[in-house]
Amino acid sequence: MTAPPSADAVPHGRLLISKAWVQVAVLVVLFGFLVLGVLAYLVYRDEPPVPRQVVGDRGQVLFTGDDITSGQQVFLRSGLMQYGSIFGHGAYLGPDFTADYLHRAATIARSNEPGGDAALIADFQANRYDPATRTLRFSGPQTTAYLANERHYADFFGDPTTAKGLLPHAITDPAEIHQLTSYFAWSAWAAAAHRPGADHSYTNSWPPEPLVGNRPTADNIVWSVLSLIALLGGIGALFGVYGRYGDRLGWRGRQADTLSFRQPGEVALTPGQRVTAPFFFVVAALFVAQSLLGGASEHYRADLGSFFGLDLARLLPYNLTRTWHLQMALFWVAAAFLAAGIFLAPIIARREPRGQDRLSMILLGALIVVVAGSLLGEFFSIRGMVPASARFIGANQYEYLDLARLWQILLTAGMGLWAFILWRGLRGRLRGEHRGNLPWMFFWAALAIPVIYAIGLLSRTTDTFTTADFWRFWVVHLWVEDFLELFTTVMVAYIFVLLGVIREKVALIVVYFDIVLYSVGGVIGTMHHLYFSGAPAQHMALGAFFSAAEVIPLTFLTVEAWAFLQLGARQEAASPTPFPHRWAVMFLVAVGFWNFLGAGVFGFLINLPIVSYYEIGTGLTANHAHGSMMGVYGMLAIAMALFCLRYMIPPRLWPDRLAKISFWSLNIGLAWMCFATLLPVGILQLYHSVSTGYWHARSLKYLTNPTNSLIEWLRLPGDAVFIIGGALPFLYIAWLGLRHAAKARPATPGETEDRLFTEITGPVDR
Amino acid sequence: MTAISTEVLLAGGYAALLILIARGLDLLARHTHGQTERFRTGGFRYDPDHDHWTCPEDQLLRPYGYDHRRRLIRYRAPAAACTACPVRALCTDSAEGREITRPVDPWPHSEAGRFHRGIALTLVVLATVIVLGELLRNHHLGELIMLGALLAGCLTTGRRLTDHLHATPGGFPAPARYQGLPPTPETDDRPDDYD
Ligand code: HEM
Ligand SMILES: [Fe+2]
Repeated sequence: MTAPPSADAVPHGRLLISKAWVQVAVLVVLFGFLVLGVLAYLVYRDEPPVPRQVVGDRGQVLFTGDDITSGQQVFLRSGLMQYGSIFGHGAYLGPDFTADYLHRAATIARSNEPGGDAALIADFQANRYDPATRTLRFSGPQTTAYLANERHYADFFGDPTTAKGLLPHAITDPAEIHQLTSYFAWSAWAAAAHRPGADHSYTNSWPPEPLVGNRPTADNIVWSVLSLIALLGGIGALFGVYGRYGDRLGWRGRQADTLSFRQPGEVALTPGQRVTAPFFFVVAALFVAQSLLGGASEHYRADLGSFFGLDLARLLPYNLTRTWHLQMALFWVAAAFLAAGIFLAPIIARREPRGQDRLSMILLGALIVVVAGSLLGEFFSIRGMVPASARFIGANQYEYLDLARLWQILLTAGMGLWAFILWRGLRGRLRGEHRGNLPWMFFWAALAIPVIYAIGLLSRTTDTFTTADFWRFWVVHLWVEDFLELFTTVMVAYIFVLLGVIREKVALIVVYFDIVLYSVGGVIGTMHHLYFSGAPAQHMALGAFFSAAEVIPLTFLTVEAWAFLQLGARQEAASPTPFPHRWAVMFLVAVGFWNFLGAGVFGFLINLPIVSYYEIGTGLTANHAHGSMMGVYGMLAIAMALFCLRYMIPPRLWPDRLAKISFWSLNIGLAWMCFATLLPVGILQLYHSVSTGYWHARSLKYLTNPTNSLIEWLRLPGDAVFIIGGALPFLYIAWLGLRHAAKARPATPGETEDRLFTEITGPVDR
Repeated sequence: MTAISTEVLLAGGYAALLILIARGLDLLARHTHGQTERFRTGGFRYDPDHDHWTCPEDQLLRPYGYDHRRRLIRYRAPAAACTACPVRALCTDSAEGREITRPVDPWPHSEAGRFHRGIALTLVVLATVIVLGELLRNHHLGELIMLGALLAGCLTTGRRLTDHLHATPGGFPAPARYQGLPPTPETDDRPDDYD
């Protein structure tokens, strides 16, 4: 006896839950963006100025503002932000060029400073920038240091070997060396010279450098303490309130429905759903390539000199493998999100308009063009082979947004097309549905993805680093820590509704609860990336305080949403048919776990300004980035891929064992990577940074010492398990999907079933 | 000579940290599991002495079936009480009376339990590798004692984390009590994909 289609399947003209949820969610998000708006104004007002010209002690022009801006562009297009860092932002093999320049300059100036160390400090802290003439004057010792550093960087980038992980003769043009040195010199000036009227530099006195008197500011320490209190207090308060009123949220204790899961093979697929098979194959192929490139990047850290006897850096220098490694990570995760959205839309809408498959294929084609074009561009850009006229299509930009401008615009447009495809597919269902209900939330959450990504277009290579970084982190941070979390929650909640694990109303409450929890901290928390990149102290204060609040939901997840993600794994109802999504649901359990460990714990480990002050750009960031990016979004992408692929592969061919092997290998491999190498290397490096000096902890000399090399080698077994046992089986499953999707039972474009189960009232045995 | 070298101190300290994290994760995961269960059983109280549940409206749910495949015991309230119940809509659609389940096996046997234990175990294996590596390289008395103690820590934690794999795990509920229950019929004629 099959019940009539549940009431949930028809549109609800009214909101399923209390209006207060929507009001609170909207207020919280609006408040966050209002504050960010004010901070955007402040960052433009208070960023370190780029002088028109910088003159030496005798009035001679050392370099101009154009040199600084051009230097930044050389830095970016040569992929140096994927080799070392500037203001602490970038990659971690090469030096931090701000700290490196500053330390070298101070050391050289020290020998020319008759007044001793106190005079040296006063010299570097003095702000000799004249806003009226936009001229910055260097002292005698600073001038000597500048000229010496220019020679140093000529040697450094002109190295005829690959001993540093860069191409041989990476940069030899004297003009470019001059521009680069000017850029570094400007950043080091901003790091040491005090802001007018303040007792700290433009970068809140980062990097730590005793020679120029850089140490943690009072704000740094006070806000570290306050944010710690905010975290502990917030967690306590949330648990208190929840313990008291939690049951009123109403998602507790209802009897699980007795369901009969519609089995793969019985579920008919629409044309639009079937074209997600090539998407997932691309996802899996990119994942394999990306993890192999990760292995190559890692190898440079373990053994800089050679790649098992091969001079890999001639073809694929470190900065190229790392650029590709990062870009592909974003590409495959994003592609999986796109495909999953396309797959779910017809199930939600119960119908599919004609042409969705064609539009989706166009999207896939565009995606492949963007991936191939941008990766090729990066290859040539790092080799200095992109002529000035072609920079629009081939010059690398900031880390994470590395792809050249053209591809960045196309990618934004592609995601816009995706939002359009979803809207087109959902249109019938959205009509008549209340704007705050689940189908609309699905669409809103999807729409936010291209919108936030588009903000990255405000980050231009010709802008001052400080403002460019501000917008860049809108994408990097707001994507991963707010809007992707939101899309994840909506998607998982919806899948659970479609699978009959929870009711629509409960799903909706979980979604709103998440919006509130993530947005309270997550929106303003963006500023935790901008403690030291030239933004004023307010950014550090608010960033520290609110990002600490981000950890509250993640801790909370361990007791609530983590439990929520585990719901699917507890099949208890006496269903007459097996639950088809065992491994997809296990990957969701893993998402919950890594969200807590990789994002929450490893993220908070480096979140306090006082920790970040010594830590930024070192191993613990890599530890957090892997635990969260792969742990949360990587696992999620695979969960969604397996969910969809399950319906495309005929049941008798479904390789359940391979899914299991992949699940265990990916999780064990990632845990091994974090705990065998990234965490201990990071702790040692942090210790070294505090005890010996930040610039030294970032030097190749330190990174390649025998202890570090040994620990880097220790991760090899984990990486092997991850790639061979985890990524390759997933690729095989995706390939099966590609082969069989076309043969899946076709649904007529008109109607599809709305559920992946049929409801059975009463126990099955009657 | 009983001096302990810095290397052994650091590596040993890290191994100890790993063991602690493994144990901590296990505790947290166990706790979360309890929360997941409460999604389904919120408001209901279980009485282990009499093996029945009491619902928020003070009705008793008694055991009526045993699900072999999922290793669950099913409890049910009297249908008449549920039909008359004022909050029935919030509770169940079933005409047979509200049902609730309880797993027979302790926590680590759930799918999520196995996963979390697997991760914790990975950390213990790593700690063991580190300790063994240091044992190969360092042989002063103090070092041997320290590393020996850590190795013992690894082994006991490892055993603890695998106790659910042993034949008679500690705290395993005695099966005898349920043997009188009628098994829930297996309507599933498909190959079982729960191993
Ligand atoms: C799933 C969620 C998250 C993902 C995917 C993620 C990912 C990342 C990535 C890739 C980076 C490196 C950025 C860079 O190289 O500049 C990063 C940096 C950082 N993350 Fe997260 N993160 C997440 C959540 C969190 C949370 C919850 C916190 C703490 C409240 C946090 C704190 C930080 C901090 C402080 C940095 C800067 C470290 C540095 O620049 O050295 N993250 N995150
Ligand atoms: Fe962030």
